[in-house]
Amino acid sequence: MDKMLLGRYINGDSLIHRMDPRGKLFLSFYFIVIVFLCNNWETYVLMTAMVMLFVKLSDISLGFFIKGVRPLIWLILFTVLLQIFFSSGGHVYWHWGPFTVTDSGMTNGVFVFCRFVLIIFMSTLLTLTTTPIEISDGLELLLKPLTKIKVPVYEIALMLSIALRFVPTLMDETTKIMNAQRARGVNFGEGNLIKQIKSVIPLLIPLFVSSFNRAEDLATAMEARGYHGGEGRTKYRKQEWKRNDTIAVILFVVLTIALVVLRK
Amino acid sequence: MNGIIDIKDLCFRYSQENEKLDLSHIDLHVNEGEWLAIIGHNGSGKSTLAKAIDGLIEPEAGEVFIDGEKLTDKSLWNIRKKIGMVFQNPDNQFVGADVEGDVAFGLENQGIEREEMHARVKKALEVVDMQNFAKHEPVRLSGGQKQRVAIAGVLALRPKIVIFDESTSMLDPEGRLQIISLIRQMNQIEGFTVISITHDIDEASLADRVIVIDDGQIIDDSLPEKLFQKGEQLIDIGLDVPYPQRLKLELKKRGIQIPAEYMDEESMVNWLCRSILKN
Amino acid sequence: MSIHIEKLNYVYQSGTPFSHRALTDVSLDIADGSYTAIIGHTGSGKSTLLQHLNGLLKPTAGTLTVAGNKITPETKNKELNELRRHVGFIFQFPEAQLFEETVLKDIAFAPKNFGKSDEEAEDLAAKMAELVGLPASVLQNSPFELSGGQMRRVAIAGVLAMEPQILVLDEPTAGLDPKGRLEMMEMFERLHQQQNLTIILVTHQMNDVANYADHVLVMEEGRLIADSTPQEVFSDPKWLKGHHLGLPQTTAFAAKLADKGVPFKNLPLTEEQLAAQLAELLAGKGDEQHG
Repeated sequence: MDKMLLGRYINGDSLIHRMDPRGKLFLSFYFIVIVFLCNNWETYVLMTAMVMLFVKLSDISLGFFIKGVRPLIWLILFTVLLQIFFSSGGHVYWHWGPFTVTDSGMTNGVFVFCRFVLIIFMSTLLTLTTTPIEISDGLELLLKPLTKIKVPVYEIALMLSIALRFVPTLMDETTKIMNAQRARGVNFGEGNLIKQIKSVIPLLIPLFVSSFNRAEDLATAMEARGYHGGEGRTKYRKQEWKRNDTIAVILFVVLTIALVVLRK
Repeated sequence: MNGIIDIKDLCFRYSQENEKLDLSHIDLHVNEGEWLAIIGHNGSGKSTLAKAIDGLIEPEAGEVFIDGEKLTDKSLWNIRKKIGMVFQNPDNQFVGADVEGDVAFGLENQGIEREEMHARVKKALEVVDMQNFAKHEPVRLSGGQKQRVAIAGVLALRPKIVIFDESTSMLDPEGRLQIISLIRQMNQIEGFTVISITHDIDEASLADRVIVIDDGQIIDDSLPEKLFQKGEQLIDIGLDVPYPQRLKLELKKRGIQIPAEYMDEESMVNWLCRSILKN
Repeated sequence: MSIHIEKLNYVYQSGTPFSHRALTDVSLDIADGSYTAIIGHTGSGKSTLLQHLNGLLKPTAGTLTVAGNKITPETKNKELNELRRHVGFIFQFPEAQLFEETVLKDIAFAPKNFGKSDEEAEDLAAKMAELVGLPASVLQNSPFELSGGQMRRVAIAGVLAMEPQILVLDEPTAGLDPKGRLEMMEMFERLHQQQNLTIILVTHQMNDVANYADHVLVMEEGRLIADSTPQEVFSDPKWLKGHHLGLPQTTAFAAKLADKGVPFKNLPLTEEQLAAQLAELLAGKGDEQHG
């Protein structure tokens, strides 16, 4: 679990770190949409250049981004191979049964690969430069209009932020309980399926019990500190839309226009 | 005379099926600015009493008055503004995503304006000496640091009473001493009425008054130095006594005559030196 | 069942940007039947060291030999299981590991995992429950209905039921009240004496180190900075203070007396030792006065 990199914040004070989380969230989603506008070398080169620029601006070494790709590498390769073997059109290099390798297939393979990597890099960029709480605050503010149709946006955001806050605590707890049960002779992840399922019980039950106890403690503590629903609450954190955020939005508008012009 | 806390004939049980009361006919009077320690073994009912004071549990009978106001469903939220609580488990009371966010949580609940909040959070963190950790997440803090953040959260709310519910019991010795000295500072310098629930004898001996709870009843209510004279009785009900008292018992076993009155560490050292090095 | 550790090194998340060295060149020996205390601050590497004793972690470099099993960085995970038979590990707040429907089943869990039949395991469990002072009447209850102190006893019985020769205790009294703490420590002392268990205790309670241990290891920043006896370690209050470590209450008290000129032969570690020395000094004074 320690190797999980996607979703890990790295402290910093770069241009990207300082952007408004709302802007980052929105532009990251927007980026994923416009990646699908790319359909030739020019557009992919342009997008790759943009992402590289953002990576540079974030002051985070490229290694972290490449690590983010690793867990998905099999999925990516599988999709790329599908493209290479099953696309038609263009010059045929090789042919066997249902498999055909053509030059357009090869190109498509490369494009699909680029698309995956660009999207992963961009979402890694978001999570590496934005704390979970900023993301949850940003979401709350972006979704605020939904309160009009009675969606409890505030409560959802608080739940999300408490959940995020307890992720590391519960991961620690999981490791501790696993160690305790290992010491009592449980082998996690060994043997046949039934054995494996059985070995999860001594982990899950204590984890549930402890989570319930924590939840009860937390509820008491929140009540003692005067929490009684979202009504009348003020917010400590403020998100500030700065000049750089506006510049970033304009940059993305220009980028979109460029893509539309360059694509076939 | 009205105290800051007045409890009259309070009874409580966790479940109707229980035959015995978990709190049985509690009468308690606490003066403003006092430091009261509540001691008792695990399961004696001392934390239950703390929860009753803050209205976190509903008593079966009896009345609780805080600052002259009776605790009812209606007055509950107003009364909670006057009481701050610091609990046992440092992890389970950390609500915010980072230190300043957690200190601000109570202020947000009270609907305090943002400017004011920032000022209060900053000041509270300075009092507990955590101002350099404002942006830290709880995972990166020690237990003692998390408890200091919890105390800052209470300070920022400016209550009249602060209840420490075994707040030092899960800490290492260093963290424990820091929190004890903070409790002392809050009582003596900041002027809060303090209730500390503990089985740490060093913590209890600093209080103005100690009550002993056993089986849901108050069985003793006295000055710490008076209480600690009853060395063996305390040990019998599962409590500890200060070190000089333990040494006294040990010396008595060896037939050494020692004055009966309570001695703290310094006076015990002095007495022994005088006796050994005299002439 | 002795333990021999040579140049043990451990690095967390080796090869990632988050890599962090937790143990550096730790070498030590723990004798069969000894009572060893490990002291040091949070983050000093104590827990990392303990987890090696039980094969929960494998060394990044160096070797350890526990009860004849040699563990190197190349050791296969399967072989670690063999090690766990010999080493019982009682974690901090061990009641967190309870999960079975009844107390008896929970205690019998480990022996069953290590190949005992259901019947053997439950016989053993009943025996262990008695050993840790659980009344027979609770054996068929759910462990979650018990008080905190009793839940801890169930968890401890569950580890003892593996019949380990080495028992590792990580702050076993944390969160207990004074009486519970004393009872717990006396119980381990009894096991140490009667069953000749080798005990390794990690603690912040210097009083417990003084009262029970015969061997002390001091850890700091992943290194072993002292390997000695309690007498030796506690005879140097200045050194301890320099490393932000405390003294047993008795030694601290005696040090104050010594500063004021009370002549101690050696600094006492326990109340009994101090009282005995004081009684002698006071009696000696009395004699002179009479003479």
